[in-house]
Amino acid sequence: MDRRTQWLRGVLDLCVLGALGRGESYGYEIAQRLEAGGLGSIAGGTLYPALLRLERLGLVVADWRAGDGGPARKYYRLSPDGAAALRSASADWAVFVDNVTAMMEVP
Amino acid sequence: MTVDDWLAAFAAELRRRRVEPAALVAEAAGHLRDSGRPPLQVFGPPTAYAVSLVDSLRGATTELRRPPSGEPRLAAVKIVKRYGRSTILDGVDLTVHAGEVVAVIGANGSGKSTLLRICAGLLAPDEGHVRIRGTLGYCPQDGGTADYLTPDEHYVLIGAGRGESRGAARAEGRAAAATLDWPRSSETVTARHLSGGTRQKLNLVLAGLGDPGVLLLDEPYQGFDNGSYLDFWQQVWRWRDTGKAVVVVTHRLGELDRADAVLDLTSRSAR
Repeated sequence: MDRRTQWLRGVLDLCVLGALGRGESYGYEIAQRLEAGGLGSIAGGTLYPALLRLERLGLVVADWRAGDGGPARKYYRLSPDGAAALRSASADWAVFVDNVTAMMEVP
Repeated sequence: MTVDDWLAAFAAELRRRRVEPAALVAEAAGHLRDSGRPPLQVFGPPTAYAVSLVDSLRGATTELRRPPSGEPRLAAVKIVKRYGRSTILDGVDLTVHAGEVVAVIGANGSGKSTLLRICAGLLAPDEGHVRIRGTLGYCPQDGGTADYLTPDEHYVLIGAGRGESRGAARAEGRAAAATLDWPRSSETVTARHLSGGTRQKLNLVLAGLGDPGVLLLDEPYQGFDNGSYLDFWQQVWRWRDTGKAVVVVTHRLGELDRADAVLDLTSRSAR
């Protein structure tokens, strides 16, 4: 497994929460948001298990709805707990990245 | 593999794991439609994808579980069994209701099979008594099949003991075998030429012949591959859902969440 994939594995759930922070969405569109955000192509086999875990933990809520004349889709959105988890993880992550960056800089 | 084939295989794998497939299959189908990419590339093999979804769901409410309800079908009261000076069972109680699955666990030598044999009436307890309401099906740990009979002949023989006609017993046995991933055209092979796993499947089918109200199963899945093992639990749940009382002796501690109740025979001093 390459390094980027390993990094992503640790933060995919937070990236999914972040993608939903931009508005409720369904699976395929979430994958597109992540790709547009520079995270590369996220396979459905990785994305949907992560969504189910977030749903089970109460960080996202989902319901089935028909879009504009289209087929019914499962729409996900952040719950208040999910929004709070995203805020606190985002602050932790910024500190973590700063520390890693500082550590990797050779004086 | 076409999209429809993949989705059908995915649905079957979810059903095998007792997860209602409709919503998950619809979501996967929608994603495939939107992305226009082949399912193996998007989700990987259906089995692996189903496993990872079920892992993510564990503890969630989509598991089709229901509380047991119904009258006691099996009541074993204060069972004591001694062999020489050692006491194998020391006042064990076991009650199983209609529509309930009880797992019996415990270390080797803790008396699991002995208890089951006592419940089946094959062995007398030194103290205590067993009350059974209805008829009984028993699947021993090994043995239970006759080397020189074919599966069809087993169905007819056991069916006759339970008052079934030849044709009815054969049809019932074949139908039950088909739900256990039974190898094709094994009906006419004598039992000694069947694999160990297939013999155990035959054993399990025989236990269920004639629609008994109580089923006693003694680690009946030895030699099953993983798929068949899941089919075994499907069969157990079907029995439960039709109101049977089921006892499963098992050593697979990881599978206890599949039963409604657990009886641990490991002696208190050994714990």
